[in-house]
Amino acid sequence: MYKKLSNLGFVIGIFFIIISLILIIGGLVSSALAYKLNFYTGFSFLLFGIVMSFFNSNSGQHKEK
Amino acid sequence: MNLHIADYLIIIVYFLFVIGVGFIIKKKIKTSNDFLTSGRNIPLWITSLAFISANLGAQEVLGMVASGAKYGIMTVHFYWVGAIFAMVFLGVFMMPFYYGSRARSVPEFLKLRFDEKTRGLNAISFAIMTVFSSGISLFALAKLLEVILHWDFDVSIWLAAGIVMIYTFLGGLTSAVYNEVLQFFLIVLGLSPLVIVALHDAGGWSNIRTLLQPEMTHAWKYMGHADSNPMGINFMSLIFGLGFVMSFGYWCTDFLVVQRAMMAKNMNAAQRTPLIAAIPKMFMPLIVVLPGVIAITLMQPALASKGFNIPSDGNGGLDYTMTLPALISHYYPTGLLGVGITALIASFMSGMAGNVTAFNSVFTFDIYQSYFVKNKSDKHYLIVGKIATIAGILFSIMTAYIATGFNNINDFLQLVFSFVNGPLFATFLLGMFWKRTTGHGAFWGLLAGTLAAAATHGLTLAEGKGGWMYPLYEIHSGMGQAFIVASVSWIVNFCTTIIVSLFTKPKPDSELKGLVYSLTEKPSYHQNKWYLKVVPLAIILIVATLILNFIFF
Repeated sequence: MYKKLSNLGFVIGIFFIIISLILIIGGLVSSALAYKLNFYTGFSFLLFGIVMSFFNSNSGQHKEK
Repeated sequence: MNLHIADYLIIIVYFLFVIGVGFIIKKKIKTSNDFLTSGRNIPLWITSLAFISANLGAQEVLGMVASGAKYGIMTVHFYWVGAIFAMVFLGVFMMPFYYGSRARSVPEFLKLRFDEKTRGLNAISFAIMTVFSSGISLFALAKLLEVILHWDFDVSIWLAAGIVMIYTFLGGLTSAVYNEVLQFFLIVLGLSPLVIVALHDAGGWSNIRTLLQPEMTHAWKYMGHADSNPMGINFMSLIFGLGFVMSFGYWCTDFLVVQRAMMAKNMNAAQRTPLIAAIPKMFMPLIVVLPGVIAITLMQPALASKGFNIPSDGNGGLDYTMTLPALISHYYPTGLLGVGITALIASFMSGMAGNVTAFNSVFTFDIYQSYFVKNKSDKHYLIVGKIATIAGILFSIMTAYIATGFNNINDFLQLVFSFVNGPLFATFLLGMFWKRTTGHGAFWGLLAGTLAAAATHGLTLAEGKGGWMYPLYEIHSGMGQAFIVASVSWIVNFCTTIIVSLFTKPKPDSELKGLVYSLTEKPSYHQNKWYLKVVPLAIILIVATLILNFIFF
């Protein structure tokens, strides 16, 4: 897990997945967040987050010395 | 502007991530080099994005959106004239010297090429400049949060400084750089929906061109005379002042950005760092200039029904600095509003962290180790680096409170930058390409250039600024004044360095190998594919930049 966390691509991906979930789930459960722009942005962030987290496993590795 | 729970949640998630990055990186920090220079072990994509992010602090983001609203599309000159060419020059010609010399900082390179006093002068002026920049970042963040969210000024200063201190103290440069990359994606992805929605609301680019004055939508067409364009400068001042002196002075010699390329794993990656960074830089006006142009379009009578306004500055004019926050407030609903505010906070904090990490390197290597305590253990310098980080943050807080006495932070930054960086590129240009340049020439040239900058500012007056010696000459705009100050300082430095060098003894050729172009073996990448080579990439970038200038001519 530590190896994964020291991969910046993975960390950035997880960050955007969490933000996207706040926007999407928040929009589903709360009228205060139920805006089209939140959903569109949330899904874009989710897609970006997944790509960064799971398709960037090697390129961002800060090698252990 | 009122935030709700979801907005606060997004801000808290960001804070937790940046602190978390600090804790993750902490385990890798074993030596002073790990802490202060990242041990030259960072992948190319990270060095490239960090390189561009180092120049994507909130002053730049807010300032460019403000300039977009004030000067129109001419603001793209800061990118397509004032950045790409210098970045290409750095990658192709200068990185081999910086990286090949194994210098840990720009002042250390000056010591290798010239002498100790030139390094000392540059190190001290740079250290002061970074602390000022960091403090002004902090001040601007607290001021913005006070104005738009009504947060307490003092709490904002101490909270932001505290978080930056935690992650830079734990993870040093690597931690700062990782957060810069996160900040880059936050700004680009966080502001993209704003550009799309606002552009749609303004009726697209064709409608913008119809509604605005033509000089607001052409980059070059009205540059023939200073009176005919909103920036108040002609194309010669722009090309020499911004495109050559300020641009090359900043991108090629400012340790804050050069440090990002020096962290690369090898020479090829170090050379390609500014070139890869130039690709997103080329398109950055879409995120930071276009919103300003859209904002001023939305205020035209034909679009009055949209209900958008840039706040007043209280003197009958517009407070252009508030253009971006006003757009975010107008278009972003709860949730996305948190993303927008987080992007702004991230850029402020990242700008501060970048300056603090540059400050601690220069202080530790170029001031403390060089002049005070030599030949101590590596652990000693690691501790000094960490203490310098805390001291840098405390100085920044002090500077932030001092900055409350200045009403235009960007003017102040430009001024400091002009005095210090304006003349510096002449020293590097001569030092790298003329082996006859001496240490005495470089030192006296730098000193004369900096004094010339101060004198020019003291003798010229623009928008009520400058003229503190005697208002001898009036300039149309503050920006034009900054270009002229930088240009004069560069010319004075250039001439003084040549004259003094001709009368003093140069270093022998044997000591200049790897430091002067004519005495250095050029790196070749024959084995690489064309897109991994430096020169083909550079040519593509230059052609693409020229095409963009032509399209928006």
